[in-house]
Amino acid sequence: MKKILLVDDEESIQIVYREEFEDAGYLVVSASNGEEGLRKFADEKPDIVILDIHMPGMNGVEVLRKMKKLDSSIPVILNSAFQEFKRDLGTWASDAYIVKSGDFKDLRKNVEELLGQEG
Amino acid sequence: MPELRKDPVLGRWIIISKERGKRPTDFPVQHYQAANGFCPLCPGNESSTPPEVLAYREGTAADQPGWQVRVVPNKFPALIIEGELSKEGVGLYDRMNGIGAHEVIIESPNHDESFADIPPERMSLVFKAYRERILDLEKDSRFKYVMVFKNHGEAAGASLEHSHSQLIALPILPRMIVSELSGAKSYYKYKERCIFCDIVRQEMQLDERVVCQNEQFITIMPFAPRTPFEMWVLPKNHSSSFSMQNDEDLFSLAQIFSESLRRLDACIPNVPYNFVLHTVPLRAGGIKHYHYHFEIVPKLTSIAGFEWGSGFYINTMPPEEATVYLRESLDNRKSGEKDEENIAG
Repeated sequence: MKKILLVDDEESIQIVYREEFEDAGYLVVSASNGEEGLRKFADEKPDIVILDIHMPGMNGVEVLRKMKKLDSSIPVILNSAFQEFKRDLGTWASDAYIVKSGDFKDLRKNVEELLGQEG
Repeated sequence: MPELRKDPVLGRWIIISKERGKRPTDFPVQHYQAANGFCPLCPGNESSTPPEVLAYREGTAADQPGWQVRVVPNKFPALIIEGELSKEGVGLYDRMNGIGAHEVIIESPNHDESFADIPPERMSLVFKAYRERILDLEKDSRFKYVMVFKNHGEAAGASLEHSHSQLIALPILPRMIVSELSGAKSYYKYKERCIFCDIVRQEMQLDERVVCQNEQFITIMPFAPRTPFEMWVLPKNHSSSFSMQNDEDLFSLAQIFSESLRRLDACIPNVPYNFVLHTVPLRAGGIKHYHYHFEIVPKLTSIAGFEWGSGFYINTMPPEEATVYLRESLDNRKSGEKDEENIAG
């Protein structure tokens, strides 16, 4: 079973994403901020990360760059409600940038593709 | 007593409101926090960027390390290259789809090397990259202008510490360029001379706002600068199109550009700044009334309600005074280093 690390400070997002991805057959580990996300990235060795950007403390782009320095082979999807973070060239370290929406199709497709599970 | 000054090209007014005794180091500078982490622009991480459209490298394959300057499309572009231009009117309003090209010029393979620290030999490759990309994008009839710009430092909009500049090819002429072209044309109609050539000539005669110069290029502080330490770098001889400059010109430009930035950095260490290339529209060729130049604008003041509302800028450092600081800056640094050596010795 593939393991997703979800880093997002909003509890409601954590609940909805967990339900969505567990139903699809993934194991979901969550973290509520960047520091916790980095700890779990090292301890849990996830197969993929879904990472919010606008969070208290360390923002998602800083977390992304630290994660990629630790292990650049683990795909990281930036998942934000805002488009404007795309102006930050640090986001280039990500494997995809998906704007949050009620429709999970795009996010799920990207998770599948990055894990080589498409089709 | 504050003084109002008018920019002769744009007709824009600024207020020089000198603060007595203010020195360059008194300006609050937001120091850049170099983030530790993976850098998508560093050699070895080429797979984090879209495939390169241009690189200066010796003997290595595309999208591999071994480059000096590398140009890649923006991974998350502000405008999209694919598609036909489609314009429409919505009542009295106009709109069009977001067609354009958005590219990033990675100026150095060294993560910690600032643009000011790049030696002129390599800096001229950055200018060469600008020229080559403008010439290539000029072939695309959808585009009317290529805007080349750099943000240095977080306060100036740079999001990544690895030195880079950007270009955006636009399907419309930016309003600033239209105003400059129009102001320069009016002056030419009246006097039959290029206003920028006249500015260069007058500044050389006065020698009050000349920061540095060589045979071909000059850096001046404009008469009506928007911010303290604003500098313009211009060719001394009339030249309207940056893309018509040859390699020799670009090396000469790099020498003066590099010296100007090093002087600024010596005066106000790590100052955030933007620079923008002002050149003719695509396919305009050489024109008599316009003169290409770079504008270097340090980020030392904030834009607030008065500036937004009036279009005026308030500048607390007269350019004549700032010029003295810039002229002395490298000499002071050198003598400071000598003093330290003497003390150490």
